[in-house]
Amino acid sequence: MLRVRVASQEKWWLPLAIGGIAIVVGIIIAVVIPADSLFRPTTILVASISLMGLGVVTGTAGMIALCQLSFAAVGAWIVEWFSVNDIWGNIFGNFSFVVYMLIAGIGTAAIGVVVGLPALRLRGVNLAVITLGIAAAFDLTLQKTSFPALVAGEHVARPFGLGPDFGGDKGIFIFAVVVTVLVAIGITYLQYSRWGSSWKSVAFSERGTASAGTSVQFAKLTAFAVSAFVGGIAGGLFDSQITQANFSSFSPLQSLGMYVLSAVVGSHLIDMALLGGILFVVIPWILQLFKVPLEWSTVIFGVLGIQALTTGSNLGTDIRNGLRRRRGRALVPTEVGLASSDAIAAVEIPRGTGKVLLDIKGLTVEFGAVKALTNVTLAVEEGTILGLIGPNGAGKSTLIDALTGFLPAHGGTVTLNGVPLDKLAPNRIARGGLRRTYQQDRVPPTLSVGAYMRFVSRGQAKPSEIDEILAFFACPPVRTPLSLVDVGTRRLIEVAASIAAKPQVLLLDEPAAGLSHDEHVAFGDRLRQVPSRYGVTILLIEHDLDLVRSVSTSITVLNFGEVLASGSQESVLSNPEVLKAYMGETELL
Amino acid sequence: MWLNNVVAGLTPGATYAIVGVLLTLMSQLTRVVNFAQVAVGMFGGYISLTLVTKMHLPIFVGVTVGVLVAAILSALLGWIIATWLSEASTSARSAVTVAALLFLISLAFILFGYRNQPFPTIVAGPLFKLPGGAVVSKVTVVVIVLAIVITVGSWAFLKFTAFGVKLRAVSDRQMAAELLGLNVKMLNVSVWFVTGAIAGITVALVGPSASNDYVTLSSVVIPGAAAALVGAFRRMDLALIGGLAIGAIQGLFAGFPNLLIIRDWVPIIFIILFLLWNQRKEVWDVAR
Repeated sequence: MLRVRVASQEKWWLPLAIGGIAIVVGIIIAVVIPADSLFRPTTILVASISLMGLGVVTGTAGMIALCQLSFAAVGAWIVEWFSVNDIWGNIFGNFSFVVYMLIAGIGTAAIGVVVGLPALRLRGVNLAVITLGIAAAFDLTLQKTSFPALVAGEHVARPFGLGPDFGGDKGIFIFAVVVTVLVAIGITYLQYSRWGSSWKSVAFSERGTASAGTSVQFAKLTAFAVSAFVGGIAGGLFDSQITQANFSSFSPLQSLGMYVLSAVVGSHLIDMALLGGILFVVIPWILQLFKVPLEWSTVIFGVLGIQALTTGSNLGTDIRNGLRRRRGRALVPTEVGLASSDAIAAVEIPRGTGKVLLDIKGLTVEFGAVKALTNVTLAVEEGTILGLIGPNGAGKSTLIDALTGFLPAHGGTVTLNGVPLDKLAPNRIARGGLRRTYQQDRVPPTLSVGAYMRFVSRGQAKPSEIDEILAFFACPPVRTPLSLVDVGTRRLIEVAASIAAKPQVLLLDEPAAGLSHDEHVAFGDRLRQVPSRYGVTILLIEHDLDLVRSVSTSITVLNFGEVLASGSQESVLSNPEVLKAYMGETELL
Repeated sequence: MWLNNVVAGLTPGATYAIVGVLLTLMSQLTRVVNFAQVAVGMFGGYISLTLVTKMHLPIFVGVTVGVLVAAILSALLGWIIATWLSEASTSARSAVTVAALLFLISLAFILFGYRNQPFPTIVAGPLFKLPGGAVVSKVTVVVIVLAIVITVGSWAFLKFTAFGVKLRAVSDRQMAAELLGLNVKMLNVSVWFVTGAIAGITVALVGPSASNDYVTLSSVVIPGAAAALVGAFRRMDLALIGGLAIGAIQGLFAGFPNLLIIRDWVPIIFIILFLLWNQRKEVWDVAR
């Protein structure tokens, strides 16, 4: 197993510093460039903010939303309505417009949540078409109702008493720079927060997200809300620039164009959103300079879009990967695997406390006429490792799915430390202290090891503990991006993260699949220590009998959805029924 | 009065139905939601318009060439997707068609100019009167018949012909079909070709009686996709019914000027609710 050390450090102050520098640069630009040339740069910033919003829902959370400019339209509409109706008079003085913009952002976020509701059941292109339909309906409505300022025949009062003349344009540009910087900083911190991790996680796997104790609904709706909030802010900013909005600026086709542009540049990255804004404005401008029809710019976007989408890449990720490769060459990758890491002192198979922690009584699961599990009764004792074995199709994974709430219904009862779990949603069960891992890779590659550990452990482990657990399982350090980690190690990290969450019981679904034999042994040496070291009781599903034998306090055998045998290692493994189920009858003859 | 409105809504409704059925076919057979479905037809329509008005060719020749252009454009797009995105997700494949849609609209502005001209008429005039006084035009009947023929025809074609079975095999298990020696790419491209041609024919039929500027015409793909959504991009019969229903509802609401804003929202809200109910068991992104 290859482990790559990555030298980057977590610098929480960096976004603030870059933002501060950007504001200074913006002011210099505003001073140097003549005011009548500042209209386009302001438009660049408005487009960039729109793209940042789209980057959250589409780039980070992986849901295609084709109504980003409808959010901008709602934002502009709200700002104009407050400005034209002037309900607060002069309470906020020069800050009136800023207050309106914030209200516009919040109002648009509320609409964003409503628009996001279908995303809880609908995915992929179904969702894309729904959002496009919503954009079309918004467009028709705006065509009929128009915007408040246009209807009243007025212009919106610009923020801070800035005039409608070129002098005012200078101020508006600086205002736009400040707003852009604030939005960019906000999104950057959000991307590194729990919310950001939940968006990246939900884009990769909904089941994995729920198993990490995070509500999939919450993750999706917050992504839509943040995206809409940012879209509304962009709409408000646009209104401060042009003072009277028109529906034609927000048509569904332009939303589609925004989406393609976002996909081309990879607008979940702030700098790329800025580049997207520049492309959005500069390509038409250059064409205009050369007296080429403006439509050619859309042709160019179309070609760029087809190119980017067919190669499945975006500029931002390509550039970053290129840089990473160059930096990576300077670092010598170190070979550190489970097997070759420091030997762990031998520990005996754990003995329990005698208290039943996870109590399963009469668990039955039916898929139509097929009984996957029949009347399974099982008790997991605190402080032990229970090995669950059985041939393929015996119902082992179905048992885990049922226990962790992923099946719509099951018969029988499940209690954890006396608390019934039967009716709870998967994320509630995970938070309640029953965690699981997956046979498939459910570790989102867009996160770093540390962000994933924090996301899964939900504040249960201090940074020092996370480092310690990672070292214990010979996993890469927290700074490593998961995309550089091989699949076998990713599954070890999943186990480590689940242990860091300190559940009462952890269900491991074939954690050692994909590891070599030496690594199996080393993994078993560590697993035996987990109950005493971290206070986590384990139910282990595993095909490798050597591993099961080396760690299990007791063993249960499932066959055809029923418990075939249960008890101590010796009694179960010498049971002729078990041998028959496992080895096949011919083997015994 | 209201019946008249409903009947008036049936022509666009049948157009949505055709587009919806085409989108369903494409989605099932080639794993794409083709946002450029109507745009290729639009482009073909303007080619025939140019041939008829500028080069004074007979309408029949112009329309035939236009339909061929639509089919070839569609096949070209299909070939691009089949070549570079054969393993990609449906979302990525569909996003390419979004770019193609924008591309075709802007190319139309460049090639055919900014002034819209009416399309050459193929079918026109009233056909018969309903008892309530509602007039049913020939176009309405032709388009509805076309929608039904396409739906039933594709269903029968996929079910009963050897070629149809091959197409289904390709869409179900592409790898297995390839191992059986089927030319997956050519089968895919042929689907694109045929749906492009049907889009061209549809535009040639309804174009003269509808607003035919580049954007409005290409945007018919949005209500068409809404119709396809009724069948969740899986069932052509539901797409057909959905398209006609959307058109009828929009026509019905046209009679109530007070409800004009609601009218624009009714179809999409209805479809969202229907889908939420229809897909209520799709709680998770993957089965396990």
